[in-house]
Parts: sequence; structure tokens; C-alpha cells
Amino acid sequence: MTDVIQTAAMPDTATARRPRWRKQLRENGLHLIMLPLALLWLSPLIWILITSLKTNAEVFDQAAGFWPDKLNFSNYPSTLSVAPFGTYLINSVIVTTTILAGQLITITLAAYAFARLTFPGKNLLFTLFLLQVMFPIYAIFLTNFVTLREMGLINTIPAMIVPFVASGYGTFMLRQSFRQVPSELSDAARLDGCGHMSILWHVYLPLVKPTLIAFGIISVVTHWNDYMWPLLVTNSESIRTLPIGLGLLAKADSGADWPRLMAGTTIVVSPLLLLFVIFQRRFIDSFMHTGVK
Amino acid sequence: MKSTKSNITRRRLLASGLAAPFVSMMPGVLTPARANETVKLQFMYPVGVSGDINTIISGMIADFNATHDGIEVEAIYAGSYDNTEQKVITALGVGEPPALWLPINSSLQTFLGLDALEDVTEQAKSDDIYDDFIGGFLDTAVSDGRLYGLSYQPSTPVLYYNKDAYAQAGIDKAPETWDELLETAKALTIRDGDELKRWGLIIGGGWHDWMFEGYCRQNGLVPWEKDKVLWDRPEAIEALSFWKTMVDAGCMAPASTWQGSANDFMAGSTAMLYHSTGSLTNLRKSSPFEVGVAFMPKKKQFGASQGGGPIMIAKNQSDAKKEAAWTFARWMTNTENQAAWSRATGYLAVRKSSWQQPEMVDYLKEVPQAEVAMKQAEFSGAFLQVPAYSRARDSLKSAIDRTLAGEIAPEAALTDATAEVNREIARVLRRQKS
Repeated sequence: MTDVIQTAAMPDTATARRPRWRKQLRENGLHLIMLPLALLWLSPLIWILITSLKTNAEVFDQAAGFWPDKLNFSNYPSTLSVAPFGTYLINSVIVTTTILAGQLITITLAAYAFARLTFPGKNLLFTLFLLQVMFPIYAIFLTNFVTLREMGLINTIPAMIVPFVASGYGTFMLRQSFRQVPSELSDAARLDGCGHMSILWHVYLPLVKPTLIAFGIISVVTHWNDYMWPLLVTNSESIRTLPIGLGLLAKADSGADWPRLMAGTTIVVSPLLLLFVIFQRRFIDSFMHTGVK
Repeated sequence: MKSTKSNITRRRLLASGLAAPFVSMMPGVLTPARANETVKLQFMYPVGVSGDINTIISGMIADFNATHDGIEVEAIYAGSYDNTEQKVITALGVGEPPALWLPINSSLQTFLGLDALEDVTEQAKSDDIYDDFIGGFLDTAVSDGRLYGLSYQPSTPVLYYNKDAYAQAGIDKAPETWDELLETAKALTIRDGDELKRWGLIIGGGWHDWMFEGYCRQNGLVPWEKDKVLWDRPEAIEALSFWKTMVDAGCMAPASTWQGSANDFMAGSTAMLYHSTGSLTNLRKSSPFEVGVAFMPKKKQFGASQGGGPIMIAKNQSDAKKEAAWTFARWMTNTENQAAWSRATGYLAVRKSSWQQPEMVDYLKEVPQAEVAMKQAEFSGAFLQVPAYSRARDSLKSAIDRTLAGEIAPEAALTDATAEVNREIARVLRRQKS
């Protein structure tokens, strides 16, 4: 592919020497497209941030313009006074990370079994896993609730975790990735004396890192933002999560309290954004450095 | 990878699989065991108007707990009205309902259908409830002459108007009849050629079925009975035809959303707005102009239907709990608490005596708009208390939307919706009986 392009480009460079700016344009031309796109992607975030610094009257006053007249940081403390957001934040972190940890263990083991082992009933079992993906979560709310009540877990933090420690979707995703790993690699590892766990750890997992990371992002975002289930199974403020606090500001009878709602949103999304910015290089590196397609 | 050498590896696989749920449970804290004489009550409530309400309710409950030995109420915020209903019904489903909850009044028949509500008529009669509660508010928790709750945070729709826009157009008072409403809306609509600059009137979408019921009442019809809806009556059809006339005259928006309509009003994109009294504080404080409040204009009479809800008490619990629950519900709706609650939130105090409290009198001097809503309550009644009210509301909204969009005639739309909803109600009732 690259050869073709080079030979096609050769006569061109021979006949006319291009000015420097054209070369630069060619190398950085993508930025011209990327920059507006990046702005487009950022615009909701910027809007959220700006609205969170406005007064209530400013939000709807068309004469007021885009920027707030005066930066009004008081929305943040007044948002924090509505609910114990600090506690909510800690709970959200506990719930989300525990779910992710649990899921990574279960889906890795399950996906390995489905991808590389043979055992009776494997296909049937896998179909059942897929079936779980197809049920909307709302359809199984009541049965999950009953189960958790029998386990005595209603109104505890585990109630928000237990139903999600296994993931049919993750298992499916990872199984597909495992199947793409050439079996020669694992056979070689076996010849070197590796057992299943070592093969999984040393051969498979490093090769499917992008899938794990992609799944991790999906899982974290889903459970970080989950509202209905935590609302249903928890009663005490001390164990509730951030989206429930946010729900307090999206009042139904009178229209939302926009500046405070946006201040709350900023508080809720910033840990995720921060996490992404910190690990951004690692996320992208892992996509680029994986040897196997 | 066909053969699997299974010595310890499989066992290890299983062991680590078993470990997963325990690992995931580790950071959890189990609720401490409770064992003492105090009656513990759970109270589930929604937050409809403002996030601060959560703090207010928690504060009231802390007060109650401090002043009442032997009763401890746990305040449980349960989301919106819909979320609250879902949470309560789930709890009812497993046989452990909360002691009290605060749903929207339309759900009365739904909860009665589940046999979930304690009849509080006798307690109320031996108390001053029937004398002191404003009639229209008390009625929202009555079915077949029995009382199933104490009205706590009622609201009605009212007509909000932009006083600056009125002054510009040289209008000096709010419309009192439908005909005047049409004329006023026409006068307030501003168009620049084909481009619309300002609507004369927007009826808050999402709850426009609630406003529509108000229009039926203004035309002398309560458009439902406890087991059917009556939207196909001539009075209702006339009401919808009037809406269509306003839309055709180009002075009323054919569709809107609940929050969007409030935003439009505050931004000056509409001069008049039908919205909940619950929005008064927000609209008053967030609008860059002076906000007027008036009765919804009448046809034959004034009329409105009640939003908001009563505190209900669960039937399926011990007598000790029921008694404690009544004490709590009674306390939440006493004269002082209702006055304080009304002032803090913009909901209407349910007791006549609350409105005579000195601080309420002062409040009305400061915010005279609040009194309009209270006076309108005299002409108001419960809102669509039929089984399956949620689906009934959806059908009616869809019928109204389609009519205003010009897809179907008012009569056909309402006749279809009535037939559909009454079929659904009959089905639900049949299922409850069997």
C-alpha cells in the first residue's frame, strides 16, 4: 500500500519543489479538521461549566450574552449543601471500582472458558450468557430486588454491586478477542509448562488489553451514571451515589434549577474526566502497542 | 487447545470464580442490627420543586424525631413522583411497604387497587381535619367517601403573565374568560412577517393533560369517574376545540415541554404561560421582568385540578406502626408546619388556619401572587384518579398533541382516546378482581 503511494508521488516531487507551507499543511492538515471537531466535542462541557457560574436570571435572559456577567462560584457551595456529595462521591468510587474489579475477574475467566476450553453444554451456556445481554435491565429489576432482599442486602452498598459483578456483554466481547489470539502462542506457552492460569495471565491478557480497557471504560461510565437501580435498593443517605444527588436538582414540578444542576454535573463528571486525562496516554499507548490485531 | 490437563488448574479456576462475589462485597458495610422499643417508620418522598426541599423535609423530620419519644422516622428521598411510585410498588411487591409515602394524588386508585392504603377516615373525623383542611385539597385523597391520606403538597395550574409585555400592549388586566384569553393572546403575539417573535400563550407541555382537565372543569365537567374517563363528552370536546382555535389563530404554541415552556416564559418568548403554582418561586426569582399570576380563565365557572400529593399510610403493617404513622402525618400537616412549608416551597398550605398565621399574612403581603393560587383552590378538585392513570394520561396527551398538530379532529381524537383508555381500565379492574 505504501509502495504504491510513494511511486505515485515520486514524479510529482521531481517536477516541482513544493513550498514549505504546503508541506506543513500536508503534515498538519488533519489538525484543521480535528480542531473544530475537538471544539465541537468540548462545547457541551464548556457550556456546562459556564452555566454553572451564572445566576438563575442570567440563564434565560437573552440580553445577557454567553459569558456570565461576573463569575458566580456560589452555586458550588449551595449545590453541595443540598445533599452530602462528599459521601456520595466516596460511595460512587467504591461501587464503580468494585463492580469493575469483579467484572474483570469474572469475564476473564468466563471468556477464557468459552473461547479455549471444551466442556459439555458449552454452547447452551454461552447462549444463556448472550440472552442476559438482551434483557433490558428494567425487566429484571423486581427479580433482582427479591433476590437481594433474601440475601439481606437491601439498603447496603453491596446491593448496588452484586447484580453487576458478572457481565454477559463483557464475556462476549472478551471471548471474541481471545479467539483472535493465535493458538500457537498458547500452545508454545503450554510446552514451556504453563497451566491455564499462567497462559491466561502471560499470554492472553497482555494481548487483549485494548478490549479490557474498552470494556472498562464502558463499565465505569455505565455504573458511575446509574440512577434507577441505586435509587430503588438504597434508602439511607450514607450509602447513596452521585447521580441520586444530581436527581435532587432536576426538579420536576418547576423546571430545573440550571446553574446548580450544572454545578452538580461538573462535580459528578470531573472525577471521570480527570481519570481519563491522567491515563489518556496509557489508554492510547495500549491501543497502539498491542501486537495482535 | 482441545485437551485440557486438569489437575489443579481447574480447581484454581473454580476457586477464583468463587472468590469473586466475596471480593466484590468486601468494602460493603452491612446495616447494624436494630433492636429497641422505638417504632421505626420509613417515609418515602419525591422532590418535585427544588433540591432544597430535601433539606427542608429532612429538617422537619429531625424536629419530629427530637420531639416525639418512641417514634423514629427515616426520611427516604425517592426521586421524582414516578420513581417514588415505582419504589413503593416494588416494596409493596415484596410485602415490606414503607410506613408512609407521598405520591401524586392521581395514583390513589392505583394504590387502592393494590389494597395498600390504610383508611384514616375515623381518625380524621375525631380530629379537626375535616373542619380545617381546605375542601379542594382534602378531596384529593377521598374515594367513595373514605379518606386515604392527608394532603401535603398540593399545587394547581395558574396563568402566569409577563407584566412588561402587558404594559407594552396596553393591557391592564389578566383575561377572565376564554374569549378574553383568545383576544389577549392575539394582542400579545408578535410576528415579524412570517417569523414569530413571541407567542401570546404557551400551555406547559408534558402536563398539558392536567391543564386540559382544568378546561373541562371550567366548562362544567369533571372528566372522569373512578372507573372510567369521560373525555368524549361535549364539554371536553368544546374545550379541545377552543385550544385548536387558539393554535389556528397563531397565538398559542401547538406543543411545548414542561421545562422548555417555563424557560420560554422567563426568556420572554411567550407573554403568558399555564404552569404549576409550584413554579411560582422559580419564575418570580428567575425572570428579568415582573411576573403576574391570575386564575385560569373560565367558561361556565372557574376550575382547576390538583397536582401534588397526599401523605398515605400503608395498610400492611402493625397497629403500633399505623398509630405512629398517623401521628407523623398529622404532625407534618399541622398549622405551623404547613405555614412554614408553604412559605419555604411555594406549595399551598392545606389548612385554613395556616393562612391566618402572622408569618403567612406577611408572606402574602410580600408575594401577593401566592394568594391567587390559594383562592383558586376553592374551585379545584382531584386529578384523574382512575386505575392505570399513567397510561390514561399518555393517551390523552397524544390525542391533544395530534389534534393541535392538525392530524385529527378534536371529536375523533377524544372519542378514540376515551374508548382506548376505558378498555384499558376495564382490563386492569378485571385483573384486580381475579
